[in-house]
Amino acid sequence: MRLENVASIALLGVAGALLLAQFVPVQRTNPPVTGDVSAPPGIEATLRRACYDCHSNETRWPWYSRVGPISWLAAHEVELGRKQINFSQWGEYYPATRKRKLQWTDRALRQEAMPPWPYRILHPEAGLTDEDRAAIERWIDGEISGRSAESRNK
Amino acid sequence: MSTLFKSMIAALFVIAAAGAAVPAAAAQDAVSEIRFDNGHFTPETFTVPAGQPLMIKVVNSSKETIEFESFKLNREKAVEPGETITVRIPALSPGSYDFYDDFHQDVPQGSIIAK
Repeated sequence: MRLENVASIALLGVAGALLLAQFVPVQRTNPPVTGDVSAPPGIEATLRRACYDCHSNETRWPWYSRVGPISWLAAHEVELGRKQINFSQWGEYYPATRKRKLQWTDRALRQEAMPPWPYRILHPEAGLTDEDRAAIERWIDGEISGRSAESRNK
Repeated sequence: MSTLFKSMIAALFVIAAAGAAVPAAAAQDAVSEIRFDNGHFTPETFTVPAGQPLMIKVVNSSKETIEFESFKLNREKAVEPGETITVRIPALSPGSYDFYDDFHQDVPQGSIIAK
């Protein structure tokens, strides 16, 4: 078989697979908000801009989330992100769970692991400045110490 | 035998020795296994030797995805139903290190006691 024929068959195979991928159903849901996080307006705006697409029930599903197989990855990442920390279900967390999730958020910010770089490439507006990070870290510190004080008073 | 050839043979021996040393080091890791089923980890508390690297096998026998997580150990890893993962942990100082399922807050917290 000639090389051109092999390449053509391979190309057709890839195109066929991509076409079929569009028919695989993907869950792109935004469940109801049951207990949104309460934060100062500036912090909330930053969280919405940088975190809410994966860590809330208010995901702004982008165009590429409708194109397989990227859509599978996007849906999976959102599903995982919501399980890890969901600002739309904040009120349902136990105080100890909230504290734990805030500690992880703080660590992720200090390590500049969040938002992840592939997401930042596609969503440059989600990038955090040093000031943004510092403000969220201060808010987290306040939340953790405030909750500690609350639990001490109980 | 040329000097170059001798050097190549010597280099091969060094590479082979280094390769053999890696599994030997891994074999020294303490290995523990915890299983998640019916909404809790088994065992919930276990003891490991302090000062020795550790491998924890996490078996998810439940029908839901869990996330083995420990803030103190700086580890978090999702485990699909039926999946087994291995978490590598460097030598621990004596003490207690909690772990939990981050996806289900009702799951009782577990502890690794290093001593």
